[in-house]
Amino acid sequence: MNIHSYEKIWLVVAILLIVGFISTVTYGATAVGIDMVDDEGGTVNASALDEDPRFSEPRVEQVGDNEYEAYVIAQQYIFNPDPIRVPANSTVTFFITSPDVIHGFEIVGTNANTMVIPGQVAKITVNFNDPGEYGIVCHEYCGSGHHTMEGSVVVQPEDEFEPGGDE
Amino acid sequence: MQDGRDMEEEQTVRELSHDEFDPNGTLALIAVYFVILLAMWVFMYFVEFLGNELTVVG
Repeated sequence: MNIHSYEKIWLVVAILLIVGFISTVTYGATAVGIDMVDDEGGTVNASALDEDPRFSEPRVEQVGDNEYEAYVIAQQYIFNPDPIRVPANSTVTFFITSPDVIHGFEIVGTNANTMVIPGQVAKITVNFNDPGEYGIVCHEYCGSGHHTMEGSVVVQPEDEFEPGGDE
Repeated sequence: MQDGRDMEEEQTVRELSHDEFDPNGTLALIAVYFVILLAMWVFMYFVEFLGNELTVVG
C-alpha cells in the first residue's frame, strides 16, 4: 500500500496525541492523586435517614489529626448542615445523601462536585488549605425550588474551629 | 475568440505521480490546528482543571 509521506506524519502524530491524552489523565490519577466519585460510600435507607447512625444528625466530626468527616443531607431545597464548618489545613471526607430526589453537590468554582442520589451515599475527600468561604449549589434539577438550593462551606482558621460546633 | 483561447489553456494537463503531490498548504493548516489543540489541552488540563483547587482526592 502506498501511503503519502504527509499522511504517515499525520498518522504518527495523531497516535502520539492519543497517547499524550491518556498519559496526562494517568498522571493526574497517580502523581496528583485525583480520584473519581464511585459507589464506595455504600447505600442507605433513604426513607429512614433519621434512624441511620451516619445521617440521623448531619454534622462534621473529627476522625484523626487534621482529618474530618462531614455527613451532609441534601434535600428539597436545602443542604444540612448549613454552613458546613471545617478547619483550615485539613482533609475532609464528605458523605452526602438525599432523602427525596436526586440532587447535586458542587463546591462552587472547584472540582469538588458529585451527584447525590437517594439511597446512595456519595463520598468525596477534599483538602482545605486556607481559611475562607465557599458556596455549595445543587446542580441537578430537583424541583420548583431548585434554583434557590444553596449552602456554604466555611473554612475556619484552625484555632477558631470547634468540632461539633455546627449546632 | 477569447473563450476559445482559455479553453485551450485549461486543457494543458500536468501529470503528477502520487509522491509528487505535496499539499503544503494543507499540511501547514493541519499543523496550526494541531498546535492549537495541544495548547488547549495543556491549558484545560493543567491550568483549568489541576489548578482549580479543591479537587477530589479520595
